[in-house]
Amino acid sequence: MLDEQMSFAHKLRLLALSVSLATVSCAFSAEDAKPPTEKNAATPEFPAAQIEFFEEEIRPLLADNCLECHTGTKAKVGLMLDRRAGWLKGSDYRKVVDLEKPAESVLIKSVSHTGGKDIPSMPEDLPKISDESIAKLTKWIGMGLPWPEYDKPAEADPKQHWSFQPVKKPELPENAGHPIDYFLSKSQKALGVTPAPKADRQTLYRRVHFDLLGLPPKFEESQKFINDPRPDNVVWPELIEHLMGSQHYGERWARHWMDIARYSDTKGYEAGGRERRFVYSYTYRDWLIKAFNEDIPYDKFLLYQLAGEQLVDWEGPDKRHLAALGFLSLSKNGKQELVLDDRLDTTFRGTMALTVSCARCHDHKFDPISTKEYYSLYGVFLNSMTEDQPTIGDAPKGPEYDKYLKELAEKQKVVDEFLEPKLEKIAKENPNIANRRAQLIGKLERPDRIKLRNLERVVDKFVADSKMEADKALVLKDRESNINQHVFIRGNPSRRGELAPRQFLEIASLSEEPTEYEKGSGRLEMAQDIVDPTNPLTARNIVNRIWMWHFGEGIVRSVDDFGTQGEKPDHPELLDYLATWFVENGWSVKKLHKLILTSKAWQQQSSNPNEEANMLVDAENRLLWKYNRQRLDLEQMRDGMLDVVGNLDNTMYGRAVKILEPPYSNRRSVYAFIDRQNLPPIFRNFDFSNPSETTAQRPNTTIPMQALFTLNSNFVQNQATNLAKKTESAEDRIKAMHRAVFAKEPSESDRHMAESFLTVFNSEMGDFAERQTETEWSYGWGAVDDAGKVDFKPFPHWTGERWQMSEQWPYEHNLYRYLRADDRGFMHPGATESESAMYQWRAPADLKIQVESVAERSAVGKGNGVRLRVATSSEGVIFDKVLEASQKTLPVNIPQISIKRGEFVWFILDANGNTSHDSTKWDPKIVDLDGNFPAWQESEMFSGPAKPATAWSAYAHALLNTNRFLFVE
Amino acid sequence: MGMGGALGLGPLLSNLNASDRSVNPLAPGKTHFPARAKRVIHIFANGGPSQVDSFDYKPELYKYHNKEMPGESLRTERKTGTLMAPPFEYKQRGQSGIWASDLFPQVAEMADDLCIVNSMYANVPNHEPSLMLMNTGAERVSLIRPSMGSWVTYGLGTENENLPGFVSLCPGGVPVVETQNWRSAFLPGAYQGTHIDTENTLISKLIPDIKNKRMPKELQRRQLDLIQQMNRADQQTQQHDPDVEARIHSLELAYNMQIEATDAFNVEREPQHIRDLYGDTLHGRQMLIARRLAERGVRFIQVWHGAGQPWDSHSEIKKNHGRLGAEADQPIAALLKDLKQRGMLNDTLVVWGGEFGRTPTVELPTPGANAADTKLGRDHNHHGFTMWMAGGGVKSGFQYGKTDEFGFKAVENRMHVHDLHATILHLLGFDHERLTFRYAGRDFRLTDVHGEVFHDLIA
Repeated sequence: MLDEQMSFAHKLRLLALSVSLATVSCAFSAEDAKPPTEKNAATPEFPAAQIEFFEEEIRPLLADNCLECHTGTKAKVGLMLDRRAGWLKGSDYRKVVDLEKPAESVLIKSVSHTGGKDIPSMPEDLPKISDESIAKLTKWIGMGLPWPEYDKPAEADPKQHWSFQPVKKPELPENAGHPIDYFLSKSQKALGVTPAPKADRQTLYRRVHFDLLGLPPKFEESQKFINDPRPDNVVWPELIEHLMGSQHYGERWARHWMDIARYSDTKGYEAGGRERRFVYSYTYRDWLIKAFNEDIPYDKFLLYQLAGEQLVDWEGPDKRHLAALGFLSLSKNGKQELVLDDRLDTTFRGTMALTVSCARCHDHKFDPISTKEYYSLYGVFLNSMTEDQPTIGDAPKGPEYDKYLKELAEKQKVVDEFLEPKLEKIAKENPNIANRRAQLIGKLERPDRIKLRNLERVVDKFVADSKMEADKALVLKDRESNINQHVFIRGNPSRRGELAPRQFLEIASLSEEPTEYEKGSGRLEMAQDIVDPTNPLTARNIVNRIWMWHFGEGIVRSVDDFGTQGEKPDHPELLDYLATWFVENGWSVKKLHKLILTSKAWQQQSSNPNEEANMLVDAENRLLWKYNRQRLDLEQMRDGMLDVVGNLDNTMYGRAVKILEPPYSNRRSVYAFIDRQNLPPIFRNFDFSNPSETTAQRPNTTIPMQALFTLNSNFVQNQATNLAKKTESAEDRIKAMHRAVFAKEPSESDRHMAESFLTVFNSEMGDFAERQTETEWSYGWGAVDDAGKVDFKPFPHWTGERWQMSEQWPYEHNLYRYLRADDRGFMHPGATESESAMYQWRAPADLKIQVESVAERSAVGKGNGVRLRVATSSEGVIFDKVLEASQKTLPVNIPQISIKRGEFVWFILDANGNTSHDSTKWDPKIVDLDGNFPAWQESEMFSGPAKPATAWSAYAHALLNTNRFLFVE
Repeated sequence: MGMGGALGLGPLLSNLNASDRSVNPLAPGKTHFPARAKRVIHIFANGGPSQVDSFDYKPELYKYHNKEMPGESLRTERKTGTLMAPPFEYKQRGQSGIWASDLFPQVAEMADDLCIVNSMYANVPNHEPSLMLMNTGAERVSLIRPSMGSWVTYGLGTENENLPGFVSLCPGGVPVVETQNWRSAFLPGAYQGTHIDTENTLISKLIPDIKNKRMPKELQRRQLDLIQQMNRADQQTQQHDPDVEARIHSLELAYNMQIEATDAFNVEREPQHIRDLYGDTLHGRQMLIARRLAERGVRFIQVWHGAGQPWDSHSEIKKNHGRLGAEADQPIAALLKDLKQRGMLNDTLVVWGGEFGRTPTVELPTPGANAADTKLGRDHNHHGFTMWMAGGGVKSGFQYGKTDEFGFKAVENRMHVHDLHATILHLLGFDHERLTFRYAGRDFRLTDVHGEVFHDLIA
């Protein structure tokens, strides 16, 4: 048993980024690379003399020259020279021996270095073998590869692999104590590893908060817990229950599952500007949050996600569970076989840690899964369609919704009026498909298809943008008549093999042989097979993943691969104990949390006094001799920063929000809009999961781009500024900040560091702050009086990318409804001359300057044009022209202006009496005619409010950048 | 660079093994065998530049101008008609006597430095799959796979941690299929390409968060000192933890990156004669940025012609290709000259080409697509096209492979895109079959199950 348990010995971590030395390619690509058949794999009997020849001449030759690379299932190019069958099978690409013409064998050419560029010379990195040896090898091939019968490689039957064996609950002796600690301590003792002492209440409180809620603790609540006089074994379970009762628990744990479900709010790449958004993806995310909060038993949780539409009444109160099918339907778009493969892969890797997808082009190379079985399951998905989107929320009411419906109908009418006559015509010409709409549409001429796509795009975009529709579920539904899938030979849909009846995997059907599914697509039966308590993989998979989300690593570290190529469990008995315990306890995820969180293993410190000795035995901490310190993930970090300054918007559910674009939402990151095609770099910089494929475990990297974000981004600095503001009136501001950020008092040394920082910063910052207010360009509005004097008022509101009059745009106030300026050189005036939009440029020195620009209106022929003026402090208006409605552009060039330091030049745009179609691109460039300054181009220098940091905001900002905040101990 | 010493963090980092790639994914990696090239500059003429108008000289096209192409016609995206002679003049160039047209007059003059492959081919005549094939080795757009630049950065790490290891320069936006062209897919995010819109000239717009706008650098240093002071104080009570130390280190790297990156993108620091060499244009500037990045140790630099698919000249080859060639020619020639004069061409592999080429035949109007504007243009052609490489261990003044007599289909020494990938990886010191990453139960690689190294191209 112990040997089995210690099988971890010094393997690389699952995600260790080393370049693998083993090449295991995916497919047999060459035509001739057929796997050995029963017949040719059997070893015939050979005369004793030939066996002797092999043992004396050939075996040593192989051992010295070949077997370092070509052994076992990890053999290079799939060529296994340690067994006769391997010689016969050849490499992944071709046969290597020709028994009829031994000298022509690829292998002989290879070792004689006569294969040219097609055949690599072998052995690699060793001297060429002697001609004598080559002659012997040739002779041996000619004999038919004599090999002794008894010498079969010790290759275990993959069906005997640990994960395919029934889960057996190990015996737990009386007085074993906590089962987790019992099993772990068995291994720890055996290897002489000592676990760490228990962490203090302060540490544990912060740890469990981030773990269960994804949020930082509050100082007062933390104190209450720390000072609770009752013993740990009372207060701790109580705290766990309390936190699991919070709505925020579901927001944290749903996000874990969303990694598995490759959750995205977009479908993927769509050519031709077609709408990419899933309008209702959020209903699946919301369902997950509720499912975790309600602790829906895990088997049921899976059933809903795989076949929920067959389990609930579509009209009844349970219809909300239809949204669960997003697990399958939110797959990325593309060719049918890839969409279905994605659903299949997400299902089996996600729920059973089985890489069934590897069998798409050939029998799984390592696990007992045949291509035929792949297509059996593929058939299940093939017969599951995604056309319906039943409403599961309350229908919106009211005049606004009516207006929306009316507009929608008008837009849809345009599509129908274009499409229907064309379809009727095609139907008449093709009566055999007259009632098959999809096929009729497929027969449209190319220009009509493009036209249709453009018309539909308008409707789709309108629906997605309006956010008016009631919640809908993206369900799957079985076809009315179901068909079986042929095997695609080598994964190629145009090469059909045998029919694959829809049924479950043999390897996971422990109770009996799989039988053909009978109900519809078989999807519900498949789901039931997945959650069958005798399925050896499902419960093991989920307890392993939950363990990983608590500890940072799984008991089986290859979290999504329980196959023979994956890792073995570090603690097999513990894994099986947890798997059976989980099922016995009603598949309750919350109960499992509690079991794990109450263990000593989870509660120990992240440092261990015996570290040095322990490291020698187990550097990877597989024996859990300390808690794994963890850096906050993207969501914990962002939500945590918002929360400690009191800015987190706790609104739950609903359509996704863009968190990186203005108006920057302060909602939790689980509600962030996820675009799988163009995920903003910041997500991946912080190791966010890949939203295109199921992700088992996020990478854990540390790169400077992360630090650039925490040091320089507006987001983090804004939180710091907010914290500074919030603590302004505090008597002891250092203390107030530490309490907010760390839920902890500052230490004496923290105070010293803070005080000296604040002093230095204050004394050095003054000059910079002054310089900052001297930016050359500013943005505003106002009027010009008859004397040419300009009344410039700065815009009061910055959206994050535009200056405007208030947060809302266009505004209620009709006059300056559209007034604003943005970073692409566009400005928009208000309605009257006194609401002109203006750029103001301030001269940083006494200068002779020149102005170059071209004003441009895109809406040529519409509206009544705009009026452009340029004025200076000393000379008043020096340019005044109208860009007429019929004109596209108007050059605004002023060859020379003499200007004194601190004087202004204004660029003034007014509506010319009518404010429609007045958006104008005007991007002046000011050139220093003496060439001492680089040019000032408006759009390039456009910026938001440059609020210089204060000593306190910089201090708060520093706290948010410390490891104390960014790691969980 | 010596990590500890250079940053003044010696004692602090004494426990950190800089080559532990699980902690620092960008630490220099080990090659399988000695490399010929240390970095790649991939000039992507996206949209599909025409081979018969540039580097694949076909005298028969003049004879058959306006005539039907004899023999088998090949399927491309749209209908094409008669053969069309190139509107650009061909001449023999340099010592090698390679024929090249005046589409790229200055690049053509560098023919003796080029290794031209005329026998490239891909699988389909459509942009999206061909872009994916060229960039990720996986044609299907819905099959998200790591890009070549990500693979190279994964294999080699970076020589300069103050800059991203893989940079994609694309002016004006993104190409077709967008950021998927430089995605890291299942490889960690550290290996994804950093897209830089070179239409911007302000450094703060080129790299997000590269500058702190609220405090000057000297004060940011004070702030960073405070952060590190607190980190170190907390470390007293912790034990060695590579993740914690890596973060301390990365803060310093980020601080340095602000200076280094600002410098790398500031072409105004170049002497006037170098700026003149490249030309004061968008493409001149971005090619000069590419060289500055290469010089600073960025591993993989992609230089796109522009957003969308600029080289897609379905009509008026003469006008459209002429304009694009004029934009790209001087900057590309300047890059080659400049790398050469700095001795950098020896270990920098420059690769030029599109996702495919164009037909030697003229494109016919297709209703609904281009009926109005098609005249004298060429359709997509994946059957045969040209790419060239320079430096980085490839032969120079060398022409390899052949298309048929009209330049339509590669017929001799055919080189698939997978073979190009295998060869590029080989030049960088990797066996393409062994540069693998385990994911979803499989060892993935750039060339999937394909690819062959073309040793004939290697000097």
